[in-house]
Amino acid sequence: MGWRLGVDIGGTFIDFCALDEDSGALRTLKVLTTPADPGREVMEGLGRLQSEHGLDPAAMTAFVHGTTVGINTVIQRKGAPLALFATAGFEDVIELARLRMPDMYSMLCTRADPLVPRDRIFGIGGRILSDGTEAEPLSEDDIRRAAALAKQRGAEGVVIAFLHAWRNPAHEQAAKALLRQVAPDLFVFGSAEVWPVIREYERTTTTVLNGYVHPRVDGYLDRLEGALRERGVPAAPMITKSNGGIMAAALGRTSCVGMLLSGTASGVMGASFLARQAGVANALTLDIGGTSADVALVIEGEPQYGSGEMIGEFPLHVPSVSVTSIGDGGGSIAWVDGFGMLKVGPESAGSTPGPACYGRGGDRATITDAMAVLGFLGHTPLAYSSVAMDRGKAQAVVGRLAQQLGLGLEETAEAIVEVCVSSMFAEVNKLIARYGVDLRDFTLMPFGGAGPMLGCLLARELGMASVMIPRRPGVVSALGGLIADVRNDFIRTLFLDVAAESLPALRAALADLAAQAERWLREEQRFTGAATISLLAEMRYQGQSFELESGIDPAWIESGALDKVAEAFHRQHEAVYAFADRAQPVQLVNLRLVIAGATAPPDFPPEPLAKDQPVPEGMVEVFHDGARRRMPLFLREKLRHGHVFAGPAVVAQEDATTCIPAGFTARCDAYGNLLLEAA
Amino acid sequence: MDKVTLQVFANHARAAAENMAYTLYRTAHSTFVKETEDFTVQITDPDGNVIAVPMDLGATWYPGLYYGRAIRMIAEGYEPGDIGFTNDPYSGFLATHAPDMHMWKPIFHEGEIVAYATGHIHNTDMGGAVPASLSRALTEIHQEGIRFPPMKMVRAGVLNEEVLRVMLLNVRKPEQNLGDLKAFRGALDTGERKIRAMLAKFGVEGFRKGCIGLLDYAEHQAREVLRSIPDGDYDFCDYCDEDGPNGNPVRLALRLSIRGDSAVLDFTGTDPQLQSALNVPTGSDPRHTLLLVGVYYVLTALKPDILLNSGLTRPFTCIAPEGTVVNPVFPAAVGMRSLTCARLRSLVFGAFARAVPERMPAAPAGNSSILNVMTTDNRTHRSVLAAINPVVGGAGGFPTRDGTNGSGADAAYLKNTPIEITETEVPIRITRYGLMPDSGGAGRWRGGLGTALDFTVFAPNSRVTARNRDRCKFRPWGTLGGKAGKPSDFVLNPGTARARVLGNIDTVTLDPGEVLHIHSPGGAGRGSPLDREPERVLRDVRYGYVSEASAEAEYGVVIRDGAVDDAATEARRSAMRAEETGAFYHFGPEREAHEAIWTPSAYAEFTAILAALPVHWRFFVKTRLFEQMREPSAEDCASRVRAAYEALRRATPGLP
Repeated sequence: MGWRLGVDIGGTFIDFCALDEDSGALRTLKVLTTPADPGREVMEGLGRLQSEHGLDPAAMTAFVHGTTVGINTVIQRKGAPLALFATAGFEDVIELARLRMPDMYSMLCTRADPLVPRDRIFGIGGRILSDGTEAEPLSEDDIRRAAALAKQRGAEGVVIAFLHAWRNPAHEQAAKALLRQVAPDLFVFGSAEVWPVIREYERTTTTVLNGYVHPRVDGYLDRLEGALRERGVPAAPMITKSNGGIMAAALGRTSCVGMLLSGTASGVMGASFLARQAGVANALTLDIGGTSADVALVIEGEPQYGSGEMIGEFPLHVPSVSVTSIGDGGGSIAWVDGFGMLKVGPESAGSTPGPACYGRGGDRATITDAMAVLGFLGHTPLAYSSVAMDRGKAQAVVGRLAQQLGLGLEETAEAIVEVCVSSMFAEVNKLIARYGVDLRDFTLMPFGGAGPMLGCLLARELGMASVMIPRRPGVVSALGGLIADVRNDFIRTLFLDVAAESLPALRAALADLAAQAERWLREEQRFTGAATISLLAEMRYQGQSFELESGIDPAWIESGALDKVAEAFHRQHEAVYAFADRAQPVQLVNLRLVIAGATAPPDFPPEPLAKDQPVPEGMVEVFHDGARRRMPLFLREKLRHGHVFAGPAVVAQEDATTCIPAGFTARCDAYGNLLLEAA
Repeated sequence: MDKVTLQVFANHARAAAENMAYTLYRTAHSTFVKETEDFTVQITDPDGNVIAVPMDLGATWYPGLYYGRAIRMIAEGYEPGDIGFTNDPYSGFLATHAPDMHMWKPIFHEGEIVAYATGHIHNTDMGGAVPASLSRALTEIHQEGIRFPPMKMVRAGVLNEEVLRVMLLNVRKPEQNLGDLKAFRGALDTGERKIRAMLAKFGVEGFRKGCIGLLDYAEHQAREVLRSIPDGDYDFCDYCDEDGPNGNPVRLALRLSIRGDSAVLDFTGTDPQLQSALNVPTGSDPRHTLLLVGVYYVLTALKPDILLNSGLTRPFTCIAPEGTVVNPVFPAAVGMRSLTCARLRSLVFGAFARAVPERMPAAPAGNSSILNVMTTDNRTHRSVLAAINPVVGGAGGFPTRDGTNGSGADAAYLKNTPIEITETEVPIRITRYGLMPDSGGAGRWRGGLGTALDFTVFAPNSRVTARNRDRCKFRPWGTLGGKAGKPSDFVLNPGTARARVLGNIDTVTLDPGEVLHIHSPGGAGRGSPLDREPERVLRDVRYGYVSEASAEAEYGVVIRDGAVDDAATEARRSAMRAEETGAFYHFGPEREAHEAIWTPSAYAEFTAILAALPVHWRFFVKTRLFEQMREPSAEDCASRVRAAYEALRRATPGLP
């Protein structure tokens, strides 16, 4: 019997999701992360899957893994000492960035120090122009001199990013070849090979991120592959990618930028799969863990893609599933300021020490503590019994704030939740204004360990009438890896007018991208199944400074129907910006091709309609909407298709607790999802 | 309102403002909105006090803007569906130059106005003498475009087509104005929807109390900051290099008086209003936002979580004498007030630096030139007009770290354009864009470096404009022993026989192959450079931020073969330490030379003479007095001014 395993590492827990290929049954597991020794938890989980669920590693047919090793390397600034070779006269590209800084109202605003210190940035003579012609030959002397100095100053690798390499990478390639000769011990990445888009800062910082995380990611994947082999796992490991797809782990060693947002993206993929399965077209996914709260839009069953997502303090300009952070999760700390205002965050207790009620040394009130004080949490074992809930500790820390506020203990706890929810409300509002969508057409889909706890409260604040809690909220990201396609993006910056004279160049670019994509899927990934190709054009009106992406049909380019290409842009512009100007010339900046090798989606059998109605495990006392109320407690595992009950209620399960406020009616669907509708 | 509900209310109010901002940003047409983000939105209470602004979109100047005067100038009152607007800097002192169009939409609840959704956009052009409506050389408001006093753009939901036609007829890019106007209207409607949702959630009484609570909260925070500052009078002045093309310096003066939890900002001693477009219209409003922008930055620096709204302005009272640069009377031109506003911010920073030296940074660069080029594409023969980049300076040294390089402090909202995009779209070649070595003022904490940009053109008659040129002469000032930042410069064909120093000149015509160099000023240093760790100076040298020569001359750090020579450094530093003056500010030689002639007593005399004159005489008299006071003299400075004025009066018929 074969089985597939999805694994996702978060800040607090590492989640396992095992799929039995024959029965469609899912087995799930959570293990506490061991930050000091990333990778060990995987082995621990494998051991427990075998001992507790009888899953034999030798029968594993797929291992798909979402990892934070890349992003943590950046956040903790523990990456490789790099050198950057830039075009002479433009050495400060990563320091100047795009100038604008966060906290722009403060005289003391700052930005992160670049990942490459200035004394390992070298200006290299030679100049390619915007049309790809060479104005000045590459200076080999400069490269030799820079290589020697880079080594002397401790660089272990070199990133080469020259102006206009998006148009003509010849100088980057020549520099790389020369470096291979004069400094064979340095690893080298050129910007055009990592992601050849126009805009020097964006391309350079993306390439720097790639080089910066490369050795650690490489070492990590090496250890992981070794450990899996030792356990007798026959499947070659795959990793989830920022673009929502997966790729062979072996490739992640060099295409590091592709996997920097591995976990967050696969959460959205998992959620959109579940939404489609449940017949939900538009969803706002809400992933709340111990250290983060992220939202994403799924429109017509599809996640939204973008670039410029932040990796720590640095933007990453490869196509990624768009995910927006709206807070710091269940560990956010509540406090009272000098005016007596109750604040939540931005400080977080994180996974260590964590909330006070986890009893691991946390001594400040967090969201999780407030929920424990209210009585929502602690009725059943939490997180597969890996955490013991100490309500007394929560009462003590929330009690301190209650004194400061002059409120009762439970009123204070409810106030903490209310303030936290209103601040998430404010952040979600920006997202919906940016996309111009109406949330009344959306279903909120909370997941992650703390999503179901806060989801309904946020839905109520946002005026959303419908909420869907997946059967296993704690492992949606791990599940995302199991259903994702083998997927990659290929891009060419063209900067052409959408006009007949551009056709030859467009056709050549399309053919070239398609050939690259086929080679990647068949030769590098050794994928043999069915593949789909989609084509996207990033276009803009002449004079605009940003592009919009529209899906286009490759046949339009092949047949020369460029009016259809332009029209796709006008329509997109209308949809996003509420106007289009069909008299304006359209420029095609980037042509992006996505290849996806389909993974057979798991076939979860729908459950037959139950004939009974659910019986609560008992009544629990919870402080809710300003008063103590007795409400039913249900166990998730006992809820069956067709079960209906009204809020207020608490639903407990081993990986999350769902809090259902008054006014919501819950119904369990054929896939075990809880569908909540507000009256 | 209880403090918990108030925090929830604050989040909803911010969400409403941010929703408006994103809607406007998303749907607007013009580069000014899309690229420069030169727009703001607010939610105000029924009196026109701002209660909420967005935190991460738009410009930073208007969290304390007062809409009330303009709102009330529409005498007929309002009905649901109305939108009021104005762009006239002299009607209600809401708009601060003609390209800025402010709009406000009353939100009614049961027949009563409970709030306004408000904001402004900078129009690409509002007509007038020059494209884009802005030039330093303009001398009266009538040249700066068509002006609309407060009136209704929309009446009960119906667009006022007549007034719109008048506007569109008078401007150079009507389609952009119209596109932005539509987007703006959409944003105000969004604001109304969000405010209605708040009314539903909090109730109308709750909403009213929430507005009061937010203003009180911001006021409380501002007062808390003021209480932490010692009482006292803190005097400071700063200068713009020129009051017009080839002009004289413009002096801005301030006495910041802090008493307990309130403060008075007295601008008496500031130069008379100018016959150029550098005047700052504030309408004698004691809390005009343009006078307080520097204060917002200071408050946010001293209390990072401070809530930004009109409540912040309550503890402050400004005295800006009429007829001065900071309170000009009609019809003074005001289009380029942004240059002066940068100096106004430096002025406020300088006074606070004296009041709370341990918590304030040294002066930021204080000048960002905005470069545009008009040239011809040799392939298409078409003329191309394009923005190149803002050339932005660094922040002043912080209390515990170096100033940020190439951006920061009060210029952190500006964005650049990628070189690759510029070169692809505009037929010019940029040969350098990076930090300017040795531009940051030396100090225990170094000033942030300025930025340098060099480029060349390939067509004859290529015209370059650089708006906001300043700080070529009067440098960003250092504090606590830190040195002034290096001045800005603008040079044609540097290092060649055809080199021409342009300084503050803001337009230049280039021939093919000519190279234009510009660099911004650097931020100033904080604390004595002799206290900077030699290793840090060495690192700056290795980074190319500081040259070896400057390391030795300014920091006393002697570097031999890439290492610090400890003995030589020790010797050099002790010699330099003996020369340190202990002065709080360091201004640089240009200002020292100016103030050797124009001493405080000379300026006092000068201010007294001018203040007694009718406004229309003042700039004339200033110019003539400056002509008489070019060289230093042993004479008493005040009596020199008086004598020069008496001579002028004898020679000038009509001068009272």
